Amino acid sequence: MQIDPQLKKQQTGSDTTVLPLRPASQVMQLERLGSFHQSRLSFMRTLVRRMTSENWQISSPIFDLDEQGYGTVVYQVEAKYGTFSFVLFSHYLDPENRNDRVIANQWDLTMALCEGTVDAEQLEFLRLNVPKQEAGRVDSRVLVLSRANRSERTFDYVVNELTHGRQPNVDVIAEVGYLYRTTAAYGSGKLGMADWEKVRTKHRDFARPFAAEMFTCFMLRHFSMQQADYLAAQRAPKIAQTLHEDIKRYIGIGNSTGLGMAPFLINHPLLINQWVEMRETALATVVAAGESGVDEATLAELAIATQRVIQHLGEIITADERQNNSNVLVREELQTLHLWLQDQGAVVAANHFAWADLIHYAEKHWLIETQEVINTLLIELYPQLVDGLEEQMGVEESQQITPEMSVAQLLQIIEDKYDWALAIDFSRYESMGVFWYRSEEKMEPRLGQTNIDLGMEKEMPLDIGRRVRECYDCGSDYNQRFPHQNVAHFIVQNPNYSGTVARIQTMAEKHYGEIRGNLVDIGVLPIHLLRCKLSFFGVSKFDPRSRLWVRNTMFQGAPLISDFGKPFVDDWQFPIKPILTTR
Amino acid sequence: MKVSKNELMASLKKAFEGLGFQPGDYQDAADMVVWLETHGFDGFDQLQGALAYLNTTAPIHADLVFEDGYNSVLDGKGSSVLLCGSEAVDLLSSQIMPGYCAALELINCFNRTFIIQRLIKAAQRNRAFIAYWRRLDYCVKVSVAAGGELPEYQTFSITEVIQPQLLRIFCGADLESIEKQYAAQLVFGELLESYSATTMMDCYRDSVEQGIEIDEALWQTLDELVARVLVESTDSSRAGAG
Repeated sequence: MQIDPQLKKQQTGSDTTVLPLRPASQVMQLERLGSFHQSRLSFMRTLVRRMTSENWQISSPIFDLDEQGYGTVVYQVEAKYGTFSFVLFSHYLDPENRNDRVIANQWDLTMALCEGTVDAEQLEFLRLNVPKQEAGRVDSRVLVLSRANRSERTFDYVVNELTHGRQPNVDVIAEVGYLYRTTAAYGSGKLGMADWEKVRTKHRDFARPFAAEMFTCFMLRHFSMQQADYLAAQRAPKIAQTLHEDIKRYIGIGNSTGLGMAPFLINHPLLINQWVEMRETALATVVAAGESGVDEATLAELAIATQRVIQHLGEIITADERQNNSNVLVREELQTLHLWLQDQGAVVAANHFAWADLIHYAEKHWLIETQEVINTLLIELYPQLVDGLEEQMGVEESQQITPEMSVAQLLQIIEDKYDWALAIDFSRYESMGVFWYRSEEKMEPRLGQTNIDLGMEKEMPLDIGRRVRECYDCGSDYNQRFPHQNVAHFIVQNPNYSGTVARIQTMAEKHYGEIRGNLVDIGVLPIHLLRCKLSFFGVSKFDPRSRLWVRNTMFQGAPLISDFGKPFVDDWQFPIKPILTTR
Repeated sequence: MKVSKNELMASLKKAFEGLGFQPGDYQDAADMVVWLETHGFDGFDQLQGALAYLNTTAPIHADLVFEDGYNSVLDGKGSSVLLCGSEAVDLLSSQIMPGYCAALELINCFNRTFIIQRLIKAAQRNRAFIAYWRRLDYCVKVSVAAGGELPEYQTFSITEVIQPQLLRIFCGADLESIEKQYAAQLVFGELLESYSATTMMDCYRDSVEQGIEIDEALWQTLDELVARVLVESTDSSRAGAG
């Protein structure tokens, strides 16, 4: 494994351990970010651990659906520190209007997660506004607003099977993985909702990034199965079955993610730095733990987990050729790993650098995606060492200029930290072949082709590499004319660079955060950005639908509400088809 | 209507972008407006005054017209602190040395109350600030201790002739050093009013808990400015959507 010259000091009790983190030049490459998988630190995983261990109590004081499954449901959630209400409206939707795009304006389900209990007056207010989504307004009692559409492939099939007293075929479920797809989960103060600051400071149950949004999707999953059971019972009260619990655990929530996530990653470099740094710290911690020896039980655990991923990847159905080829190759390489673990287990156990050697071997011989699967699996092996990092996934996003820094020093920082940006030849058309802009349709971020599509003059400033390059060129010229001047003077003369300078100086203090790719290159694959963020959310089964959007599955394999408070083995990642047990 | 802080921030950033502000500038300007409004300083009233000007001209930054080591003068050329405030505070911050404070005059500049947020942000880098300016027939003095998260805001009767569009800012390692070094310039008349930190915090907490009340007409104005950064949707552009 390549060792970063920068060593991270991690405080563990009274011990100070120096952990070698992987360098940003390796980790922050677009393709690697686009190969990340969920880990123990992903937000769904941490939420599930919290809900199960704290035994959150969830009831439904209002379950008012008609025979078609349309109506209103209110779930009351008693979490450890507070009470919340999950309010859901189920509507008839003409199949012709079922659209997963951001620009849609009707959905099968619309939902809101609210603080406290909801009285009749508030419920009416929500009924008027929640179904409108972006066209409505809510208030600061609402934490998350979301919507979802039925899967045309599975929902009716599952209800029909249950109605006829049969369990659905797991193979059919596996093809899709869910009954409903969510197309947005808005939080952080949008549309009048509670600010993240309020959520973070007032509601400890959701005081981690995206915890409330993930919980909303978890509740949607719960409803989707409850509604299927309900409809079957309505149609055939005497013979209908309810979904088998093992199938229920295997049902997740579908998600379609488009370009909207990409600007978030660029505009929150400190947050992305924090997420990546915690993940890398977890990996470095695990590698360090391996140096004191790896016991056979741990090796066996890794072998089982590897076999599970092989099966998981084999069960993914995607029409995307690139992803399909990758899945096939990753499976083959993991099979090699599995055989190696079986054959060489005793030797590995005696090797004090087992994990470092494994990572090094994978980096030399295997796909980036395989490498990142292995990293995820290694992190899984040491929950007691890494789970505490989940409390450090949040950070305030604030950039600041250091005005007294000399311009010469600023230029040096650019050369050291932004060498990847300086290496791009922006005189080539291809290097500026696309531009990002916001459409007048719901301000949806879109990608345009330079000199072909309209809107270049309204380009979003996501071209960090180019901006740094321009700042460097301007700064170099300035520094030649005024060799001893500081950044404050440079900005007075060149105020347009203040944002770029603030970003460079702020990020210079961080390991990660800047994505090392040219986001305006004609060949850019935004899907890497989406997948990076989704991996931190904790999704699985990536199914790219183009280079601009990806389908995936949330909470597939996760425990059910009925599992809360029971003994829980946190191993639901990489879901695989269940073998049904007798009830 | 009520909006959240995040929502307001997002709208302001795009609105200022629509007015031609560059990325660093629109972030700073949005921060200034939101801080004033959420801490009880009528940020929206100040914003409306600023928009009346900003909507009529391309963004103008200040020029450095005088500098002698610890003293400098920036000419705002009739612009707003929303555009000139950051560079003024950054320039001043860069000029202090151990044991020496520095002073800066920003002349020909409007909307000076917005400077408070910039002073607080800069104070987080272990610098103290005192600023004063004239407003109508009284003088506003704002002091921010090094690392301080809230200012001391006081108004005084006027004892000297202060140009209407002048903002004076002093920076040092601590407030005592500034008061001592610039004692001759920091002479004010009768204390008229003090705005307590408790009041500011109560206002801020209420903004976070309940949201921020904004006039629908102003929200509509911001929406119209935001629309300037949006691109018409066509069949071709939909192909570039995820």
